[in-house]
Amino acid sequence: MWEACTDVACGNLFAWLNQGPLTLTIFLHTVVVIPMFFIYFQEKKRLEEGGE
Amino acid sequence: MLINGQLKYESQKLAMNYFRVAIVLFGAQLLMGLIAAIQFLYPGFLFELFDFSVARMVHINALVVWMLYAMIGSVYYMIPDETGHEAVGIALGKLAFWILTAAVTVVVLVYIFIQVGSGSESTIWFINEGREYLEAPRWADLGIVAVVLVFYYNVFFTYLKSEKKTGIMTVMVANLFALAGLYLCGMFFTDNISMDQYWWWWVIHLWVEATWEVFVGTLAAYALIKILGAKREIVEMWLWIEVLMLFGSGILGLGHHYFWIGTPEYWWEIGALFSALEPVPLVAMFVHVLYDWGKEQGHAEAGGADTAVKNSPAMAWIASNAFGNFLGAGIWGFFHTLPQVNIYTHGTQFTAAHGHLAFFGAYATILIGMMYLGVQGAYGIKKMTMTFKSKMALFLIIFGVLGMTVALTIAGYEQVLVERADLGGGWDAFFIAQELPWYVQAQAWRLVMGIVTLVGFVYLAWDLLTIGQEVSQKESESVAATA
Amino acid sequence: MSKKSASVWTSIPFWRRSAAWVTGVATVLLIWLTFDTMGQISMGSDEDLKNGVTKRIPAASVINYHIDYQFDDKRGHEVPVIGEKEPFFGKEWSAEEAAKLLHLGKLTSQAKNCMNCHTLLGNGAYYAPDLTKAWLDPKWNDGTMTGITGKASKEEAMAEFLMHPSQYPTHARMMPNLGITKEEAVALVAFLKHMSAIDTNGFPRNFSQSAKRLEGGTHAH
Ligand code: HEM
Ligand code: HEM
Ligand SMILES: [Fe+2]
Repeated sequence: MWEACTDVACGNLFAWLNQGPLTLTIFLHTVVVIPMFFIYFQEKKRLEEGGE
Repeated sequence: MLINGQLKYESQKLAMNYFRVAIVLFGAQLLMGLIAAIQFLYPGFLFELFDFSVARMVHINALVVWMLYAMIGSVYYMIPDETGHEAVGIALGKLAFWILTAAVTVVVLVYIFIQVGSGSESTIWFINEGREYLEAPRWADLGIVAVVLVFYYNVFFTYLKSEKKTGIMTVMVANLFALAGLYLCGMFFTDNISMDQYWWWWVIHLWVEATWEVFVGTLAAYALIKILGAKREIVEMWLWIEVLMLFGSGILGLGHHYFWIGTPEYWWEIGALFSALEPVPLVAMFVHVLYDWGKEQGHAEAGGADTAVKNSPAMAWIASNAFGNFLGAGIWGFFHTLPQVNIYTHGTQFTAAHGHLAFFGAYATILIGMMYLGVQGAYGIKKMTMTFKSKMALFLIIFGVLGMTVALTIAGYEQVLVERADLGGGWDAFFIAQELPWYVQAQAWRLVMGIVTLVGFVYLAWDLLTIGQEVSQKESESVAATA
Repeated sequence: MSKKSASVWTSIPFWRRSAAWVTGVATVLLIWLTFDTMGQISMGSDEDLKNGVTKRIPAASVINYHIDYQFDDKRGHEVPVIGEKEPFFGKEWSAEEAAKLLHLGKLTSQAKNCMNCHTLLGNGAYYAPDLTKAWLDPKWNDGTMTGITGKASKEEAMAEFLMHPSQYPTHARMMPNLGITKEEAVALVAFLKHMSAIDTNGFPRNFSQSAKRLEGGTHAH
């Protein structure tokens, strides 16, 4: 399924994630953005319950 | 700009001193740029007396230093407004200003008269460090650290003292901490050139594409409240959104400098995609400034006033900042940020085109705007309007820098096609491309546009010196007339 | 307590928390990546060279080897290839000697401000040619510069040029005399040779294609 790793040093996680176009960067963007959903719902609850 | 008369706070008077030095260094920057630009066309000009490397070093160092001066000035200016207090350690702050200015003078004199040293540690310590933008010798680095500590002490403890901590000050305090800390990454020597450039970019990129951008966001927020009377809650909400987007894209966007310096291939992906998002916050900032302007103007007109703007030259420069930031950093930056493109544009005049428009559009503009705000305060002017000189300065400087950028873009385009794509780089390829008419003409236009910029600068300096007197006189005359 | 309908999108706390979160994660990721990159860009050792272990940044003693820059099918661009041993300034340098030489070379490159005319690894100024692969430039290999300087080997020609650049002009735009001593010049050549062995992911691309075609003139003029 995966292409052979193209990095010079393939023993590391980032090179491994860098298997096909975009795999690494999509992963990192996801890590950054997903928790914002959690923050969103938490704030919503707080506002609805009449905080601040 | 020469008096502080109407300013109540010492902190704001100190700010004016920072602005004064900044404008002098800005002038020096332009003169050095012109020397370097002449040398592109007439390589014999000042050869082995004042070489290109020296002119360019002073050009870009004066640039960084005047901007830091104007930035420190802007912060000292806004501290009392945002915290309601005088800066806590103002005496120390004043001392630091004079120490810094003395040190900068010595450094510049050494650059100009000693220029280079022998290949030894003592050159790095006392003459120059030979790393683009961070050439300041080590002793000066240590001095800068000391001065910045004093500055930060003033910002931080005045902030702690304030009863109501504004969003603007909170962002400012946190961001300045990162900005100052990053400087330390550029203060060591290594034999490994890849390692060297890895950390060098931490300073340069994480300054201009992260912390300085957030700094500009805070200044714009402050200025919109001050000039237009924009609503604080809205402005501060935007500020947090901008912080989110700027840091979210800019921090990992650092990868766009790690494509070819010996660093691993995974930076291609990370650098390309995170930095491709960097223009997004710049669009948002542009929309925000125009939106607030239009809104407040609408309110003012509805209320029967002719304008909401309390300082039109400052507002004009801040609006130019909103657009220039988007154009120079956003558009010109995006042009060459994907590795597929950057392999050919890396280190050509294309980079120089982007560097000019970005530094000018994102930073020079708003800092000039802050100087006009300072003048307004110093002369106690209620409503400051543009003079003929303000308009000439605005027009000529913007026209000049845009003209230089377009010329350099053409030169870079030619280099990409001939030197890089066709001939594959190397000594011969470089000079063949440098000697083609498209390139030479572009360099000639850059020189012409550089002179236009300099003329604009003369208007600017002249205006900053005189506008306060002129407008305050008119204001008191019209008050006398109505009385 | 009754539920109020409220928009999170206009709530300052939401944006403040999100900004803090995103900045924090991006910073942590950058630091993590930095650790990984540090491992990959720290200089290799003399043993690595002897054992044929490929490093992105080889040890200083790479100056004792022949260096080439060749297309790699798997990676899709040129990569440095470290070959057989060859003398550098007529001798083989021990690991310590080579390291000392590189140190002096790097220091001199900063002291003389090379980066404010040239680019190194593509960064710097755009007034003079990129130095990333200067060691491999045809100019030094095809007899041009050895001829002009009257030196037998390319390293000697380079050192001679660096000491008196404006005596050997190739174009109207000349390199100025920077007061480089013999010792510093040798060290600078070592620094350049070492830099040409750095794996730059294929920058510059198609390096000096011109060399082959320029024989007999170029259509660019
Ligand atoms: C206000 C913000 C910015 C400023 C002041 C700025 C300034 C600069 C400068 C001066 C350089 C040249 C550095 C050198 O001398 O080697 C540079 C390089 C670069 N910038 Fe920016 N920049 C900004 C924003 C951006 C943005 C938003 C992007 C991308 C979307 C970007 C992409 C790049 C790239 C890819 C390079 C490397 C060029 C090369 O490979 O030669 N920049 N920037
Ligand atoms: C009188 C107007 C100016 C002239 C004639 C001028 C000329 C030059 C020259 C000749 C260089 C060297 C480029 C090279 O290495 O090939 C340079 C670099 C630079 N200048 Fe200017 N300049 C002028 C104004 C400005 C302004 C207003 C700014 C920013 C606010 C600026 C920012 C820079 C930067 C950031 C670099 C480094 C670019 C890079 O490395 O990519 N200059 N300038
Ligand atoms: Fe960048």
